Amino acid sequence: MLDETTRDAILKVRDEAAEKGIDALFTMHREKSHLMRIGNNSVSLNTSEDLTRLDVEVINGRREGSYTIMGDITGPDSVRKALAVAVEKASVSTPKDYDPISRMVEESAEEMLQYDEALEAMDPGEKAVVYREIIEKTGSHLNFSGSWSSGSTEVLLASTNNDNLAWRIGTDQQFTCVLKHPEKKWELASFQTGWQAGEVKAGNTIESFNWLLPIYQKPGFRVEPGEYTVLFGSQAVAEIIGMAIGTGMTGRGYEEGMNWTCGKKPGDSILSDRITVIDDPTDMNTFRFGFDMAGMTRNIFPIVENGRMMNLFYDLATAAKYGKKPTPHSGSASVVVSPGDGPECPMEAVKGMGRVLYIPALHYTHIPNRSKGIFTGSSRFSAVLLENGEMVSPIFSSRITDTFQNVLGNVAVLAPWCTSVNGSSTYDRRMPEAASVPGYMVSTGVKITDSAESF
Amino acid sequence: MRVENLERPVAEGIARAMNAGAGYCDARFFSEDGSETLVLYDGNLEANTASFESGLGVRVLYGGAWGFAATSRASDVSEAFEKALANAKTASMLVSIPLNMGVLPAVTGSYSSPVVQDPFDVPLSEKLAFLGGLDERLKADFVQRRVVFLYLQRMRNWFWNSDGSFIERNLLNCFADSMVMAQDGDGQMQRRSKSLLTPGTGTRGWEMVTNPDLWSGRAEGMKEELSQLLTAPELEYGRRSVILLPGQGHLQVHETIGHPLELDRILGYELSYAGGSFVTLDSFGRLRYGSDKLSVSAFGSVENSPGSFGYDDEGTPERDYLLIDKGILVNCLTSRAMISEANHTAGRQVFEHSGGASRSTAFYKAPIDRMTNVNVLPGNDGNLSDIIAGTEDGVLLDNPTSWSIGSNREHFHFGCEIAWEIKGGKITRVLKNPTYQGHTLEFYGRLSAVGDRSTWVVEQVPNCGKGEPNQVMEIGHGVPVMRFDDVITGEEK
Repeated sequence: MLDETTRDAILKVRDEAAEKGIDALFTMHREKSHLMRIGNNSVSLNTSEDLTRLDVEVINGRREGSYTIMGDITGPDSVRKALAVAVEKASVSTPKDYDPISRMVEESAEEMLQYDEALEAMDPGEKAVVYREIIEKTGSHLNFSGSWSSGSTEVLLASTNNDNLAWRIGTDQQFTCVLKHPEKKWELASFQTGWQAGEVKAGNTIESFNWLLPIYQKPGFRVEPGEYTVLFGSQAVAEIIGMAIGTGMTGRGYEEGMNWTCGKKPGDSILSDRITVIDDPTDMNTFRFGFDMAGMTRNIFPIVENGRMMNLFYDLATAAKYGKKPTPHSGSASVVVSPGDGPECPMEAVKGMGRVLYIPALHYTHIPNRSKGIFTGSSRFSAVLLENGEMVSPIFSSRITDTFQNVLGNVAVLAPWCTSVNGSSTYDRRMPEAASVPGYMVSTGVKITDSAESF
Repeated sequence: MRVENLERPVAEGIARAMNAGAGYCDARFFSEDGSETLVLYDGNLEANTASFESGLGVRVLYGGAWGFAATSRASDVSEAFEKALANAKTASMLVSIPLNMGVLPAVTGSYSSPVVQDPFDVPLSEKLAFLGGLDERLKADFVQRRVVFLYLQRMRNWFWNSDGSFIERNLLNCFADSMVMAQDGDGQMQRRSKSLLTPGTGTRGWEMVTNPDLWSGRAEGMKEELSQLLTAPELEYGRRSVILLPGQGHLQVHETIGHPLELDRILGYELSYAGGSFVTLDSFGRLRYGSDKLSVSAFGSVENSPGSFGYDDEGTPERDYLLIDKGILVNCLTSRAMISEANHTAGRQVFEHSGGASRSTAFYKAPIDRMTNVNVLPGNDGNLSDIIAGTEDGVLLDNPTSWSIGSNREHFHFGCEIAWEIKGGKITRVLKNPTYQGHTLEFYGRLSAVGDRSTWVVEQVPNCGKGEPNQVMEIGHGVPVMRFDDVITGEEK
């Protein structure tokens, strides 16, 4: 955890800046990260990082500047130096045509609800043991890859606008294992997540592989372009919902006519009435942050209710520019999609539906037309052709190019249970993020626009 | 941390690791990894940020497995070596094919990006005045949104390894974009943009940013094209020729030649994240990747590019070599350990030596196989006008709006900002919302025209993502105008 010297240095300089009338937000970010990567049944990388960053954001009237340092933050002088650079940048900056909103820590907080010292200090050897068990019990003649990231993230926010101090430390882990047949080239994948040591279990991955291995002995099926009923797995559901929100529910995109929701207003129907989405920082399937990275206190925030558009996200700059109230969504969101009333088992859900494509995850999705809500991406791991709920054969890489309005508008069944999907990126600084989504979703009339003759 | 205080502890750390049984050890110290980002959005300075990172990264190969550790604390230098060695020992618990770096002669050298005026020495007020001037030129009654973006990087680093190599590098990159946007008659946002490119020669300091031929002189053209998009019909679904301007062609090459030819992807080390490759070790010297008009190089002796860096992050000098020779795949992007594994796996010598493509984005990231400059060599099919004149039914495409590629890079779907319809060898009108899709080998097999040197520029890519932990790398692509026939364009209704 953060040592007192660093914490005291930030607070000392914060107080000095406040006395001088400087409008500043100080954000300290410390990560203790470990990542083990697997390739070709070997550990291909075993890496540790212990990094501390300090961000200083300064507002000077209508001018803003910011500065980030990573390195030795050994005392007040390091913090003063960062502050001085940010102050200088703000002073030289060109003024905006609106008044920026000052960053303020709304409430003091000390959060460690999802902190597990054992996970933070996990011996990397334990990870190698889990991967070895998976390889040995599933079959070492197959090719295994994967990665397992774990660690702690600690943030501290303090602004010159009040004496409040928001602090959080939490642990998180993200586990992936990919099984590839060395000759047939198909890939199966298993994902696990959590914030406590012991949550990732070799048995879960072995079980998920064993479920699909028999069907993957059969030849692959090439899906002809056309409209299909698709049984999406939780990874795909999280991906589609996340992109739909990102391109439809941001205030900036809405105000400026870019979103696929433009032309609609809160209360209007935009998706299937089976779809309800909230941002819920209390949901244990997500990584819980009681405050956002601008210091705003987070609460339950309705986004889509029974298919109706509810609220948009407004970052500070957009809120200031368009005269809106900012919403607390800088940093890690907790997207929670309500479960449905379908059967427990996804295969039961598609009995009687004839030909159905089971697509657990999507690869490399993108947005060819944001205004129309068109997205595209291809099937990857573990995709299977189903006939009336029975697995028939694995399917080759197939491309979906469709709209959010269609795929999330024609939802026939949603799982009655939710699962956590880890969406953390390891780009830049560690910032855990997860969504809670139904375990599966069945959509009808989904457009397959291309397919390969390989996996 | 200061480099003069590091030489001894680094040498001692490397010696300790090797004495403990390591097969290889290297260390890289960044005294500065600095950046500055300025973004004008509708004239408002929405981003005015800078960052500074400094620290040491250590990599140890032990028992055929990698361990890595990094620290930003001067007091933890010795501990970083111990941690990297411990991580490597743990990794060696699970090894099927031991990695091997081989032993190479020590390399001593230095490299500095060619620069006349360091942009970090240019006063912020001067930079803002320049960007503000460009923003003014983007204004027009019909333009609803304007964006001017500048991103600067400066890295000063030192490298040591157990071969005895010692390399100093001073790298500098300038990236810039500008964009205008407006809603068309259907309420859809259309855009035109222009990124800072390089001719491949010359210098890459502030003088590159302010050269109107490379970026900032395109404001009027962007606005004119945007105005045409606002009343343009949509590109209809169908098969036709596509001519890719370098603004689009570089991303096509990046995604469907560059990434599939990274050796770590070919060997399966990216399966859990970025994906694999349809290329196998048996493909080299045999696989027809495209028509005989397709020749592709790595590095390409491009002196002014973010993909030119002197030495890679394991001490190999950058190399100029062919990846594809008249349509035949002959080589790929390689690092020392990956060629060792590839030759072992194939049971023969597929690769002779490293391509100098082992790169790391920061002191706290371990090097992986990356692109350098992946360039399509200019052809003999004339200039852009010649290629248009030789096209019966096609579209000319520029600048990506979306890109989605199959996990083994076998198929793709791209969206572009603008299409110009070509009928009977002439441009007839502008079309909006253009997309095209295809299968990589089939697509390059239909490469029917490659523009001459007059059409060739180096497009800069500041944000190529790969690896776990993810690393965002800067690279370059020298590409000419290219025409492909019988391509699926538009979306089927």
